[in-house]
Amino acid sequence: MGNCLKRSAADDISLLRGGNEPTRESSADPLGPPLYSEIIQPVFYPSPSVSRPASHLTEEEQVKIAKRIGLIQHLPIGSYDGCSKKSRECVICMVEFSVEEAVRYLPCMHIYHVSCIDDWLMRSLTCPSCMEPVDAALLTTYETT
Amino acid sequence: MSELQSSLLLKKQLAELNKNPVEGFSAGLIDDNDIFRWEVLIIGPPDTLYEGGFFKAHLYFPKEYPLRPPRMKFVTEIWHPNIEKNGDVCISILHEPGDDKWGYEKASERWLPVHTVETILISVISMLADPNDESPANVDAAKEWREAYPEFKRKVARCVRKSQEECS
Ligand SMILES: [Zn+2]
Ligand SMILES: [Zn+2]
Repeated sequence: MGNCLKRSAADDISLLRGGNEPTRESSADPLGPPLYSEIIQPVFYPSPSVSRPASHLTEEEQVKIAKRIGLIQHLPIGSYDGCSKKSRECVICMVEFSVEEAVRYLPCMHIYHVSCIDDWLMRSLTCPSCMEPVDAALLTTYETT
Repeated sequence: MSELQSSLLLKKQLAELNKNPVEGFSAGLIDDNDIFRWEVLIIGPPDTLYEGGFFKAHLYFPKEYPLRPPRMKFVTEIWHPNIEKNGDVCISILHEPGDDKWGYEKASERWLPVHTVETILISVISMLADPNDESPANVDAAKEWREAYPEFKRKVARCVRKSQEECS
């Protein structure tokens, strides 16, 4: 009944603390046994609300993420040329593009800072502006060429 | 998106809302030193049961905003099918994208990183005017809204009165 997703308790705790949520590494007692590897690992999102360091992923999740990274890397990157026809700011971070800055082009031709859009695409393969699914658009391009 | 970028983005929105207030709500911070926790005052939309009420709510932004949505909770008591009895707001745009177990929501109805405090509040205000009883958060309120409307109206009217007393 209902589709209101419950968030994890951990999330609530970080909200209650209201701010400087320590990273797992730094919150571990320095004298106690280290809970996690000291090496900082990239964190991945097998599904949007689940984040896990690379070594904690299942094989299936690793494949899914590898595919997604491959797909994102296929999206063209250009440098912003200041052309007035294009949007002047990245709607994710609301910061104006500067000329020559690297921007990523989605199949719908919406542009974003590479780091802003890549972080989002790792969570959801849709254009934040027009909601066009990026993977579907890419698949059709492959099929027609 | 770093925590610094997230806080800059929120600061920008706060400054913009202070400069050009939007009709229907006012926004500020719970604590001036914490840009991730906002307090908003929503004015009950005209021509709805909530008209005349002043409803206070809190927004809690994650450090990953705008990649992840904030949580929103009404602090003022409010009776509505899509607001839990404890005040938690349950609308689809505050749900993260991803596998939709129930198949109700299209990706376009879910959270997108282009949402701002303003667009969130506009959605919440339109939800007050137009409840969605397909996915109620307050099952009792949803049932009353459908089957015992006079009782639903009475409860909302009580909340409106209470909110006016708290605000005066
Ligand atoms: Zn950006
Ligand atoms: Zn687009």
